[in-house]
Amino acid sequence: MKLGLTVVFTFLLSITFSQKYTISGSIKDATNGEDIYGASVVVKELDNVGTTSNAYGFYSITLEEGEYTLIYRSTGFENQEVKISLTQDLNYNIELKMPDDVQEIAEVKVNAVKENDNITSSEMNVTRFDPKSIETIPVLFGEKDIMKTLQLTPGIKTAGEGNSGFYVRGGGADQNLILLDEAPVYNASHLLGFFSVFNSDAIKDVSLYKSGIAPEYGGRASSVVDVKMRDGNNKKFNASGGIGLISSRLTLEAPIVKDKGSFIISGRRSYADLFLGLSKNEDIPDNTKLFFYDLNAKANYRISEKDRIYLSGYFGRDKFGLGDAFGFNWGNATGTLRWNRIINQKLFSNTTLVYSNFDYEFTIGEGDEGFGVRSSIQDWNLKQDFSYYINSNNTLKMGLNGIHHTFKPGALTGDNQTFNEIVLESRYAIELGAYIQNETKLGTRWNFMYGLRYSGFSYLGGPNKYEFAEDGTTLSSEKTERWTTVKYYHGLEPRLSGSFIISENNSIKLGYNRIFQYLHQLSNSTTSSPTDNWVPSSNNVKPQIADQIALGYYQNLNKNMFRISTEIYYKHLQNQIDYRNGADLFLNNEVEGDLVYGIGRAYGFELQVEKKKGKFTGWISYTLSRSLRQFDQINDGKEFSARQDRIHDISIVAMYKINKALAVSANWLYYTGDAVTFPSGKYEIAGTFVPYYTERNGYRMPDYHRMDIGLTWYMKERKKFEHNLNVSVYNLYARENAFAISFQEDPDNPGATQAVQTTLFKLVPSITYNFNFK
Amino acid sequence: MKNLLYLLGCIIIISSCQKVIDVDLNETDPKFVIEANYTAEDSTVSVKITFTSSYFDASAPTTVNNATVVITDHLGMSLPVTFIGNGMYELTNYVPIFETNYTLTVTQGGVTYTAVSTMHTPVALEDITYEYYPAFFGLEPGYVCDLNFLDPAGVENYYVIALSLNGVPDTKLTSLFIQNDAFSDGNFVTRPLFKDEFNQVGDTVGMELRSVDKVTYQYYYEILSIAGGQTTAAPSNPANNWDNEALGYFSAYSNNRKEVVIEE
Repeated sequence: MKLGLTVVFTFLLSITFSQKYTISGSIKDATNGEDIYGASVVVKELDNVGTTSNAYGFYSITLEEGEYTLIYRSTGFENQEVKISLTQDLNYNIELKMPDDVQEIAEVKVNAVKENDNITSSEMNVTRFDPKSIETIPVLFGEKDIMKTLQLTPGIKTAGEGNSGFYVRGGGADQNLILLDEAPVYNASHLLGFFSVFNSDAIKDVSLYKSGIAPEYGGRASSVVDVKMRDGNNKKFNASGGIGLISSRLTLEAPIVKDKGSFIISGRRSYADLFLGLSKNEDIPDNTKLFFYDLNAKANYRISEKDRIYLSGYFGRDKFGLGDAFGFNWGNATGTLRWNRIINQKLFSNTTLVYSNFDYEFTIGEGDEGFGVRSSIQDWNLKQDFSYYINSNNTLKMGLNGIHHTFKPGALTGDNQTFNEIVLESRYAIELGAYIQNETKLGTRWNFMYGLRYSGFSYLGGPNKYEFAEDGTTLSSEKTERWTTVKYYHGLEPRLSGSFIISENNSIKLGYNRIFQYLHQLSNSTTSSPTDNWVPSSNNVKPQIADQIALGYYQNLNKNMFRISTEIYYKHLQNQIDYRNGADLFLNNEVEGDLVYGIGRAYGFELQVEKKKGKFTGWISYTLSRSLRQFDQINDGKEFSARQDRIHDISIVAMYKINKALAVSANWLYYTGDAVTFPSGKYEIAGTFVPYYTERNGYRMPDYHRMDIGLTWYMKERKKFEHNLNVSVYNLYARENAFAISFQEDPDNPGATQAVQTTLFKLVPSITYNFNFK
Repeated sequence: MKNLLYLLGCIIIISSCQKVIDVDLNETDPKFVIEANYTAEDSTVSVKITFTSSYFDASAPTTVNNATVVITDHLGMSLPVTFIGNGMYELTNYVPIFETNYTLTVTQGGVTYTAVSTMHTPVALEDITYEYYPAFFGLEPGYVCDLNFLDPAGVENYYVIALSLNGVPDTKLTSLFIQNDAFSDGNFVTRPLFKDEFNQVGDTVGMELRSVDKVTYQYYYEILSIAGGQTTAAPSNPANNWDNEALGYFSAYSNNRKEVVIEE
């Protein structure tokens, strides 16, 4: 806490007392009135002075009395210059226009002013996309998916073929904090990971932070993916949608009261099962269900000039069923209620109540023979954040939050006489966070963001408290009282990032962060599964701790036409979790006895060359990295490769706009095969040959590569209607990439053994039609 | 569960395919493998000792024919299990005492391997029932037999179930079923045993219910997860009851058998 006070004190000292005035206001999109997040406000006359709009479009900048030219700028919009005479505090709201296509070529000249935020900001390389900018990139089944586009950038590795899950800088799949309007999404994928839960139509912005993570975020060790939902058109009614191979989508948005409030509702449903019905295949039972749906809804209303309320929610579900014999469904539900208040021109407050729930259920049989298993995790989070725009050189942010977690690891119920009803003990925890951070500009060359987060985690009573011996056998279990603290963990998490601007075209940045992670996901399958349960830290499970240091060099070339970024990082992970041999993760009250703990380290080099402007855009990214783990109980205590230890990873993305009506795009990916465990021998048990293993992850899958292409045809536009057709081919040259390699007896020749490779997708063409009623 | 997820995966994967590939695997020193069973109903101890071999080696495993094998009961009485050829050792007419421990020792080349297993009281099989199933994902329609038994209450029970068809036992590892009473203690258990194919009218189906100890159950649980081409994230050798890093297991188990002829 002492350090925190020092931080506050430092700023107070840095405030000097001369005649200063504040200009503040909102930055919006002129076409639909949506708030623009991250728009820059730059003072033309001054070097290294400016600010950016927050997630609600609010900006504030304090300058000495005088005449200034402010440049308002955001990617995808035309710059606007405003001359102001600052002799008193001002409120200035602005709407930015999108450029017409005709002007696009001329625009390069206009924009040559200063488009080098990537050089000047203190943030390390943040991966940021708005769904529109990537809509032409070809994807599997034509189902555009922002999570899959993120995987094409350096340091972010896919969880597997066609998968929307990912690993960031050698961390685990459960170490990514995925937020949808501030609500954590516990299982961000549909259909075993082939699609993410994020419907691009409802999304305004996705930012992925992988180093120098700001203190306002906490709870996951490796990255933060901050997804912001659109607010809805507050100027006029708008309907848009698309029809694809896998799913169809429809979005409706309209003002509630023009320029005061709006709503958006966006739905998506897949229909693979409808095709199954059409196929009339007698082998497939009637009532076979296989689909998912998503519903995003959001409304906002400006109660007064200073107060605004947002209510947003997500509800999505996967359903799978084979008649009465088997049913399986799972999904997330989140809700966020927010109250923004502009306390004064310099102080912005946001109060948030967040709800998040993930649950799964499967049922087998019906009536007397039926039984079902259910499991869930539920969060309630109350959060208060303040942003204080002290002066043109300092922006202070601070906040507090408390989350109550309820874990229901599993319950088996039903009328089936064979099974006893089993309800695993519910587990409870409270997670607390408090942070303070300052973004500061020192002179014209140095920018810093520094701060501290305090996190605490109270594992609450209610369930039995278990003690385990070294070998995992249960030593004791005792009853605990609800609302008492069984175990309390806490820690200070220093965060720092800074940039040194060498010139307006190049800079060096440094980032450090320490993050505690108190929730852990248990999974022993190679694909993401809804049954991968989350467990809290407890008297047996310690929090994961990640320390990461990163250094980057950034260079813009040819008037910001090309951006080159290079970063190196080293990450140390404590209290990583793995399982004992033969661990039983299913309906097991004493699952903690099956866990073992170790350490991890990851390091790497990342390079990205990006072209952001012109007819031809895209990027090349290359990652050279390692990710290693060490557990005393695994692999004789020797360090081994994590599954995602892919040494080389290359992605090339190219988009070319041929003319107003046609755009083509292509990707090419290559990465080193996953580290896997293969047998080094075999032996016979009960007449069957079984593999004999010698080391963990000592082998490699074959290297992965593929190419995808896409063509988007923007058909003739009407005044009230626009539409386009997207055709794409996934894995164009039909590379047989290995999804899995299994070792088994040769079915045609008992006694002989063979390795069998499974390939998932060979050349998948798809077509999607998108429309928009204006 | 995993199989169901796999099935779900299969349905959405329209263009997936499988092929046999060449993989370059490391060589390792041969390891000792002791597979030992003491079957109560047959009063027989049978032991098979082999070495591990290279994964793609198509020849039969090397057998160990010069080991000394001895079984010892809970009173310390020892009897030799004698070599009968081809890596096999056997002791017959050895009557079990239920709920006692048996210790098997194998000595070869100056190294002694020891394992202990508990012979539990048999659990009685009830009559086999069967149900008709329509065509299902490429399977011809037919009958599936149900395992029926009353689980003894208040004790942990572990079972291995083997089937036979028309008098031919199918005791291949990947054809065995395992069962515990973690969720069904003291209940009358009915469980359909699904095989690769449904049974047809006229088939004689046999079942053998083995009561095994916890270590044996755990061994089967783990080995079934790596046998038969299953892929898990981190496969490993199953934990067993042998010391000195021998592979395999020693299981003393009680058992009983029943048969049924499937009628229309």
